[in-house]
Amino acid sequence: MCTFSAYNHYDWDDYRKEAKVIEKILEQILNFSAEHPDLAVNITTVFRWIFVALAAYILLVAIVSLLSTRATPEIWGYYLIDGGGNYPITHWENVIGRSRSADINVPLAPMSHNHALLIRRDEDKWMIRDLGSKNGTLVNGYKLDPEKRYLISPGDVIETGGIKATITPPSLEETRNNRYMRRLDKEPVAPWKILLAITVFQMMTIVQLVLSMGSEMTAQALLSIVLLCAVMWAYVMFFHAMGSRGFEMEMIAFFLSTINLAVTASSDPGSCMKEFIALMIGLALLIFMVFYMRDLGRTKKIKNTLIVLSVILLLINLIFGTAKYGATNWIKVGSISLQPSEIVKLAFILIGAGALEELYDKKNTLIYAVFSLFCLGCLAMMSDFGTALIFFATYLVVSFLRSGDFSRFVLTGVAAGAMGLIVLKFKPYIASRFDAWGHVWEPQFMDDLGYQQTRTMSFGAGGGLLGLGAGNGSLKYVGASNTDLVFGFVMEEWGFIIAVLLVLCIATLSIFAVMHIVAGRSTFYTILACSAATMFLVQTMLNVFGAIDLFPLTGVTFPFVSTGGTSLMTSWAMLAYFKAADMRRNAGLSLGRED
Amino acid sequence: MRKQERRAWICLLLAFVLVAGVGLFGYRFVTKGGEWATFYGNSQIYTDGAINRGTVTDRYGEELLTCTPDGFDYSDDYETRVSTVHAVGDPKGNVSTGAITTFRSQLIGYDIVNGTYDTTANGKKIALTIDANANRTAYEALAGRTGAVGVYNWKTGEIVCMVSTPAFDPADEPDTEAEDGEESSIFFNNFLSGLLTPGSTFKLITSAAVIDNMPDRDSFTFDCDGVNQLGERDDTKLTDIHAHGEVDFREALAQSCNGAFGALTRQVGAETMEEYAEKTGLTKPVDVNGIETAAGSFDFPDDNDVKLSWAGIGQADDLVNPCAMMVYMGAIANGGEAVQPSLIKSATFIKEISGGRRLGRYLDEDTAAELKSMMKNNVVENYGESNFEGMDMYAKSGTAEAGGTRPDAWFVGFTDDENAPYAFVVWVKGGGFGSEVAAPIAARVIRTLGETSD
Repeated sequence: MCTFSAYNHYDWDDYRKEAKVIEKILEQILNFSAEHPDLAVNITTVFRWIFVALAAYILLVAIVSLLSTRATPEIWGYYLIDGGGNYPITHWENVIGRSRSADINVPLAPMSHNHALLIRRDEDKWMIRDLGSKNGTLVNGYKLDPEKRYLISPGDVIETGGIKATITPPSLEETRNNRYMRRLDKEPVAPWKILLAITVFQMMTIVQLVLSMGSEMTAQALLSIVLLCAVMWAYVMFFHAMGSRGFEMEMIAFFLSTINLAVTASSDPGSCMKEFIALMIGLALLIFMVFYMRDLGRTKKIKNTLIVLSVILLLINLIFGTAKYGATNWIKVGSISLQPSEIVKLAFILIGAGALEELYDKKNTLIYAVFSLFCLGCLAMMSDFGTALIFFATYLVVSFLRSGDFSRFVLTGVAAGAMGLIVLKFKPYIASRFDAWGHVWEPQFMDDLGYQQTRTMSFGAGGGLLGLGAGNGSLKYVGASNTDLVFGFVMEEWGFIIAVLLVLCIATLSIFAVMHIVAGRSTFYTILACSAATMFLVQTMLNVFGAIDLFPLTGVTFPFVSTGGTSLMTSWAMLAYFKAADMRRNAGLSLGRED
Repeated sequence: MRKQERRAWICLLLAFVLVAGVGLFGYRFVTKGGEWATFYGNSQIYTDGAINRGTVTDRYGEELLTCTPDGFDYSDDYETRVSTVHAVGDPKGNVSTGAITTFRSQLIGYDIVNGTYDTTANGKKIALTIDANANRTAYEALAGRTGAVGVYNWKTGEIVCMVSTPAFDPADEPDTEAEDGEESSIFFNNFLSGLLTPGSTFKLITSAAVIDNMPDRDSFTFDCDGVNQLGERDDTKLTDIHAHGEVDFREALAQSCNGAFGALTRQVGAETMEEYAEKTGLTKPVDVNGIETAAGSFDFPDDNDVKLSWAGIGQADDLVNPCAMMVYMGAIANGGEAVQPSLIKSATFIKEISGGRRLGRYLDEDTAAELKSMMKNNVVENYGESNFEGMDMYAKSGTAEAGGTRPDAWFVGFTDDENAPYAFVVWVKGGGFGSEVAAPIAARVIRTLGETSD
């Protein structure tokens, strides 16, 4: 952690020194392009191909590594039934029952469908809880109270409807075998080549930006890219030294952030440093959260505090908020303005998650529902319907994960749709967006309600597959181009291929989340990763589809890529939920581990 | 936990929707990217709503238009500007068939890999197939009358002359607004978009139907008294300018005898006539590098002999598009196979040898040969070979009653010289007799085409 705290506290003189070096480089590139204008132009022509090749290499290697490495589930013990039946326990949280989807599926009549919960604590310690079964659960002859959970040890006799069973730990040899098998798991790809590729990409971006923007480019903006590069190396080297091996997600995030800085440098060079600082805070949050969430009990306890903080934050927003592009979702503190709803996203995910045990707790579910309703109400009052939609979609997915009730999932969706229609009646300016939706190229819309979309597509298509080169775009002169229309911005300056790769990155994160929950430790982490994935996915969909007229334009950001400090910070912090669910050996962040 | 694991498919569903949406967009990007990139909102390639790069030349490299960030730079010669305006286009985009509008993405140099990326910002040069010199001649020959002249190489499909009048000077564009489909408009391209009464030129379609469906056509005779009363009433006659006396099929075409062709049409029948109007490509639009010509329309009633007869001689409700008529002429010249016309010159050597893209067979080879010989006969017997000195001319004139005080003059046909395989169509509104008015225009333009060569 010390590596980046240096940047948090870097003093002004150091910064000036660095800025001077950058200024010199800037000057040299400018001189070069003034002396050899023909050559300078051709540099861009060649760079465009290299950029696409590098991006494809970086992202495909990271994506393939993420999707091809899997964790082998570990066997924690056996559920041994008296008189036959030996069930391996592969999860930390298990449902014992007659139901086919039960983790320990005992198809005998006296069992209830979901009879009891068996939760692994530390080595050789287990917790058991009756799920209100018909015939009850007894341990060593003692009848369990369904409201309480009990600590048991291997060898204790568990009686479920007259069926006696015991937990036996795996033999020493088996444990050794298991460890060995896990060592054979394909290791995540080593980060060095990707790091190098990103670094080359970043340095070329600096040259390209100077060539295209000339003296409009500022040393500060370029410095932010150099600093990003330094932080990236420091982060990976530090955690690699500590034993961590899986860095694909961070590589993807660093790459997306590079595009973010390039987009910001092209459209608003003065904001680059702000973006970088926001990214640093996000990165710090990511590391903090990953360590904090390692202790499940501690994480569960913080939920209530987060609810209170979120409510306060949203209320402050409602009272003191300022409007930007029609939505009152900003608050200003001194010279800093931020979007509280972005920060609440982080809490929203955590509050929605629950360990298996909590999912059977009606009160827990109710709290989540009420909190969601409150958030949606606040967002509606701020007229931030894009974010409201993201929250709502996440709520739907999370409640489905928790309850598995598909009909309720559909019903809630339909009810919300009806509510949406009512909202449209009272908010004609939103309804008018629906008028233009799918028709932006028609003459009455293309310069009016469809202005942003037609420009996005026109300038975007003008970029072709390879783009015009960073800094050469013209979409930047259209309002909100580096946030809501960033997909088109990237298409124009970086080309269609890179723009699509960015979307694939987000899709990959979610596919990864789904693939790796198999070996998950608790449904808590499963739900965290899935709901973070949902949030990323829905947000990307609204951003991209809105800009290219597959959906009405709602004005939300593209995770990591859109300019905007709060959004970038939250995107980075959100990565913690994926890291926490990453059960591959040595994949999470570690500070020295025993394995 | 297994339940929660299984339910996670819903995240995959969302990821699928995202990827599918981007896939759909990718499809649109490929199919419509050029259209999007060349949209006037793209300030990379438009200055004040006008495209700022690209050059249009004629087939010999004569510059007709250069687009710059300071505006459109047309040829210095007034006649060149006026005679090519329907092929090149105007600054306000009123001429829908102009290269500025139709070949915009080629001018900009858009391609899917590079988009509008262009280090010089000069755009691309596109060479039209037209010969500016021939266009000027055609414009002069039309002499201020409303009309259209189209000539194309029936082997390669290159349109070498395309003039529509009334025209205007694009360098000094009038303030009038273009109205959709208004045919008298200066913005309207009569050659590509016009729908006109064909008059006697349509007898070439009727003749094709006769050749294929009347094996005994050689014994056909008709006694023309100049009135050719069909029924009792006064309005049921097929008048001719004068009595042709007894004519056979060949003579009937050479003299353009309405009475005889009325009789032939009735013998062939309504259904066959309809089939031949379609077969000869007149009822379908022709695709000229993405510009669709207007599609002709006909009505051949099977219960009204008088109207059917008139329809068979190119009157009644008959409407043809001049370009489609020209392609039919090309098909007769080419042994029955039609070649697609084009306006952009492609440099490929192969095309010169193998010919242009085939549109398919319009006529059997024998039918085409017989028609060709009859068209030669027209020239020898009626129009006078001396009027087409140095050309191997095959033609048919037309004098169409289209409601004006004077009839519209037509002259359609082709030449069959190794170096001048041209099919042509000339139409002059209210011009009078086709052979007197339109034929000299055709001769003059084709002669001009011979003056310069590739």
